[in-house]
Amino acid sequence: MSVQGRLRGWGRYALLLVGALLMVAPFYWTLSTSFKPPGDVFASPPKIIPDPFTLQNYQDLWTFLPFAQYLLNSTIVTATIVGLNVVFGTAAAYAFAKLRFPGRDLIFFLFLLTLMVPFQVNLIPLKSIMVSLHEISPFIGADTYFGIIAPGAIQVFGIFLMRQFLLGIPDEILESARLDGASEWRILRSIVFPLAAPGMATLAIFTFIGAWNDFLWPLIVTSSDSVRTLPVGLALLARKNTVNWGDTMAGTVVTVVPLLIVFLILQRRFIEGLTAGSVKDAG
Amino acid sequence: MRRRLRAGVPGYVLIAPAVLVTVVFFLVPMVVSGYWSLTKYNGIRPPQFIGVDNYLALLSDDIFLRSLQNTVFFVVFGMAIGPLLGLATALLLNNQLRLRGFLRSAYFLPTMVSLVAVATVWKFLYQDDGLINAVLGFFGLPGHSWLLDPTTALPAVIVTSIWQGFGFETVVFLAALQAIPRVYYEAARVDGAGPWALFRHVTLPGLRPTIVFVYIIGIIGSFQTYDQMFVMTQGGPLNSTRTVVYDLIDEFTRLHLGYASAIAYVLLAILAVLSFLQLRWFGER
Repeated sequence: MSVQGRLRGWGRYALLLVGALLMVAPFYWTLSTSFKPPGDVFASPPKIIPDPFTLQNYQDLWTFLPFAQYLLNSTIVTATIVGLNVVFGTAAAYAFAKLRFPGRDLIFFLFLLTLMVPFQVNLIPLKSIMVSLHEISPFIGADTYFGIIAPGAIQVFGIFLMRQFLLGIPDEILESARLDGASEWRILRSIVFPLAAPGMATLAIFTFIGAWNDFLWPLIVTSSDSVRTLPVGLALLARKNTVNWGDTMAGTVVTVVPLLIVFLILQRRFIEGLTAGSVKDAG
Repeated sequence: MRRRLRAGVPGYVLIAPAVLVTVVFFLVPMVVSGYWSLTKYNGIRPPQFIGVDNYLALLSDDIFLRSLQNTVFFVVFGMAIGPLLGLATALLLNNQLRLRGFLRSAYFLPTMVSLVAVATVWKFLYQDDGLINAVLGFFGLPGHSWLLDPTTALPAVIVTSIWQGFGFETVVFLAALQAIPRVYYEAARVDGAGPWALFRHVTLPGLRPTIVFVYIIGIIGSFQTYDQMFVMTQGGPLNSTRTVVYDLIDEFTRLHLGYASAIAYVLLAILAVLSFLQLRWFGER
């Protein structure tokens, strides 16, 4: 390689590493601050490594602030939304991809149209519906897990994604099962779900990120800490201007870390899943 | 017909839960919202039909118009910088590199994280005695109250949003670059094309569908910006970071349900027109 080419190679590396530093540094600073006592948060010059090191901020989250409850709520809400979408979304996608019934394509088209509508359009009446449901029973409607979960329980995007995936399953496999006398339920359980597992994993990841990070709807539909999720709790804490930033950074860490753990385990699948459908095969 | 319907039963049963959820929690609210936008309604007394008065009132509502202007500013600057930064990073990463997996993950990291968490972190960084001013001070530059000054608050939020979002564009462009067949480049090189000609005549056409995708998703998403403003600025100072959705939620919490619904439908109309125009101009030819 020529001297010029090598220099260009190093220049590229330097640029990418500086950029990566700018991406990672705010996360590091958050983590570092979460272990500092209040007096050190704005120390000058900034303390890059917490010294003294304290877990007081995390204790505050657990004792003075309801973050343990938020974490539990986020876990319940996210797990339920992921489970419902994977099962019912795949079932609906199978019907749209492989079964024949009058009105199928029209209904699917109407489903796709809903993807064009921003959520804020439905927000206000949706809140009213939830308030009314809550008057029927204290377990449903506004300020309940049900209220947070229901609108996202079976998302059209997931159905669309799974339909694309299931179209790739050869009809012959399904036909031969039908000839053997298998019912549609049996086919769904024993053939479609196992074959669709990689697609379902992608759907689960998508839904997981969306549900874990969702903010606007959980903010609007909840009014008590007993059901609020982490982003809502964190936003309400960070919004106040007289904050203890150590606590707030610890709250940020608790909000971000569960997602990061899942990301580190499933890294490749995450990135492939998020880019799925966005890139057409140019070959 | 009877027989076709009966044969269709499994299909109907399988889609029934999805249809139920979509009708009750999507279709009904959407229609109701459209009706409410034509009424005066405070959530307590029954809606009172007033025709298009809410829409007319929006035209002379200074705060709404300011919110719209801020949103357009946010979208234009975010979309002018974010995707370009993503493409540049993807081009740099699209080589045999050591550490490529690590670098790709570093750029991708903020995209996955909740916007609320990112906004919280950046609000902390932008504090008067926060890290950004400390770094500026290290280089002998003056600090600034970024989020408290009406001229810098919106740009500061835009910087945060670009930082959070361009990793997604990086990853999408990177995947698209790798899908462009090597032989195209080789053929062009044989014909004597230089680096710029390769980019102009092979890379860019190969990226075309991806560019359309990135802009449609990006514009729709950034038009709905809310979370950052909720955490970092509460729409202030002096409404300088108030967005359309912020205005909508604010009118909603002040129980102007009809008026807020009209804002929602204006948002829907803007997004529908923008998506249509983009597909028309930049879609497949």
